[in-house]
Amino acid sequence: MARQNKKPVPKQRSFWKRCVKYRSLILMSLPGLIAVFIFSYIPMYGILIAFQDYNPVEGMFGHNNWVGFKYFKQFLQNPYLFRLIRNTLLLGIYTLLWSFPAPIIFALLMDQLTNAKFKKTVQSISYLPYFISTVVIVGLVKDFCSVDGVINGIREFFGLNAVSFMTDPKYFRTIFIASNIWQGLGWGAIVYLAALSGVDPQLHEAATLDGANRWQRIRYVSWPAIVPTTTIMLILESGKIISSDFTKVLLLYNESTYETADIIGTYVYREGILGGKFEYTTAIGLLTSLFSFILLITANFLSKKISDNSLW
Amino acid sequence: MNKKTKIKLSLSDRIFNAVNIFIMLVIMAVMLAPIIHVVCVSFSLGSEIQKGGLFLWPHGFTLEGYKKVLQDHMIVRSYINTVIYAFSHTALVIILTALTAYPLTIKDFPLRKGITIFITITMFFSGGAIPTYLLMKELHLINNPLVMVVPFVVTAYNLILFRTFFEGIDPCMRESARIDGAGEFRILIQIIMPLSKAIIAAVSLFTIVGKWNDWYSALIYLNSEAYYPVQMILRKILFNSTVFAQMDPSVMQMFRNSTITPANIQMATIVVIMLPIMCIYPFIQKYFAAGVMVGGVKG
Repeated sequence: MARQNKKPVPKQRSFWKRCVKYRSLILMSLPGLIAVFIFSYIPMYGILIAFQDYNPVEGMFGHNNWVGFKYFKQFLQNPYLFRLIRNTLLLGIYTLLWSFPAPIIFALLMDQLTNAKFKKTVQSISYLPYFISTVVIVGLVKDFCSVDGVINGIREFFGLNAVSFMTDPKYFRTIFIASNIWQGLGWGAIVYLAALSGVDPQLHEAATLDGANRWQRIRYVSWPAIVPTTTIMLILESGKIISSDFTKVLLLYNESTYETADIIGTYVYREGILGGKFEYTTAIGLLTSLFSFILLITANFLSKKISDNSLW
Repeated sequence: MNKKTKIKLSLSDRIFNAVNIFIMLVIMAVMLAPIIHVVCVSFSLGSEIQKGGLFLWPHGFTLEGYKKVLQDHMIVRSYINTVIYAFSHTALVIILTALTAYPLTIKDFPLRKGITIFITITMFFSGGAIPTYLLMKELHLINNPLVMVVPFVVTAYNLILFRTFFEGIDPCMRESARIDGAGEFRILIQIIMPLSKAIIAAVSLFTIVGKWNDWYSALIYLNSEAYYPVQMILRKILFNSTVFAQMDPSVMQMFRNSTITPANIQMATIVVIMLPIMCIYPFIQKYFAAGVMVGGVKG
C-alpha cells in the first residue's frame, strides 16, 4: 500500500476508502472503545431504571414496568430530605470556602521564597499527604481526635476538658474540611505554582524599582497571573458543591453524627447498595447530577460575564 | 539570590521573609507530624502507649507489632491481592490507552473526530453509582476479583495525556518506519512506545497509587475476604474495634502478656501499607508536570 502512495494525494479520499486504508488503526482502537462503551455508556442507559420498577430477574436490560416519576416523588416526600440537602450543600459550600483558597495562598507564599532548595523541600513535603489513602487518613483522624488522642492531650495540657470529637455532630464538618486541606494543600498548589512560574521575573524587578513592597507585588504582579487558573478551578469546584467525597464521609461518620454528616452520597450508598432500592437511588443520583451540571453551567456563564474566563 | 537583591533588602522585606519561612516550617511540621507519629507508635512499647501522652517520639522499642502483621495471613494475603490488582490494572490501562490514543494522532484517520467526541462525552456525563453497580451485577463482576482490574481501564484523562504526548513525537519517525514497510502495530510498539517512556511511567505510577489506595470498589463489589485488597483489611483493623476481640483467644492472651497493644498492630499495618507509596513517591515527583497537565485538561 505504501508504494501506491508515492505522491501525496491533495484531495482527501472518501470516508469509506480511508476506513479501509486505516482498518488496522480501527482494529487497534476497538478494545479501548469497547471498554469505554461498556463501563461508561451502558450505565448512562441504566439511568432509565429511575423511571421503572426494577425486576432483579429481568435485570437492567430486561422488561421492567414504567412507573414515571414515582421514585422522584418518593424522594421529595422523604422526611430526611431537608437534612440531606442541607448537609450536602453546607459541606460542599464550606469545603469550597476553606479548601479552595488554601492552596492559592500557599502557592503565593511559596512563590515568594527566595531559596530554591528550601522551596523544593517545602513542595515535596506538602505533596506527600495526597498519596496517602483515605482509609489511612480517616484512621489517623480518628486516632488523633479520640478521647485519649493527641488533640485532647493538648487540650488537657491547657486545662481544657476532653471532647469526644468523633461522636459530636458539631465537629464533623470541621474535621472533614481540615483533613481535606491537610491532604490537598500541596497538591492543589501545583496548578497555581505552574501559573506563577510563567511570570517574567523582570516584572517583579520593575515593580520593586518602582517602589512596590512585597504585598503590592503579590497583589499586582503575582495575583493577576493566576486569576485565569483560579477562575477555571472555581468553576470546576462549584459543580462539585453537591458531590463531596462521600467515600470519605462513609469512613468518617457514624450514627451519632448523621445530623450533620449524612449527605446524599452516603444516603444513596445505604439505601441503594445496602438496601437494594435501586430505582429510588438511581432517581436521586440523576437529580444530583442534573443539579451539579446546572451549577457548573451557571458558574461558567457568570464567569464569562464577569471575567471573560470560561471553560467553553 | 543574586547580588542585586541582597543589597536592597529592606527591613519590611526581611520581616516578610522571616514570617514566610516560619509559616512554611509550620506547614511542613503539620504535614509530617501525623506520619512520624504513626511510625513512632508502631515501634513503641505497648505499656507506654497505654499510658498515653505519646507524641513524635517512640517510647521504648519493639518490633513485635511488625512481626504480628507480617505473620497475619489475612494481611499478607490482602497485600498480595493489592499488588496483583494494582499491577494488572495498570498494565491493562497502559496497553489499551496507548492502542486507543495512537490512531487519534494520525491526521487522516477517518474516525478521529468521532472517537474524540465519544471519549469527551464521558468526561461530563456518567451513569452514576447505582447504574454502574447494576452493570457490574449484569457482568457477573460482583464478588469477582476481576472487578478490581477490568472496569474503567480507559479514561478520557489518560487518553488525552497519551494523545498529547504522541502528537509531540516527530511524525517523520512514523513516516520513515512506514516507508520501510512497518505496519501500524509495529510502528506503535517499536517506534512510538519506546519514545513515550515518560508518559507511560507517569500514568503507570499514578494508576498504581490510585489502585493501591482504592478501597471503595472493594467495599461495594467484593464480599469474600479472600479477595479483599489490603485497604479493606486496614479499614477493618482500624475502625472495627471488635476485630481484636474476635481474634483467637490465644491471640488475646498474647496481648495480655506481651509488650504490644492493638495500637502497635494498627500503626504497623499503616506503615507497611504506606511504605511502597513512600518508596514510589520520589519517582512520581518527577512526573508532577503530567499531573498538572491533567489539571489543565480538566480546565
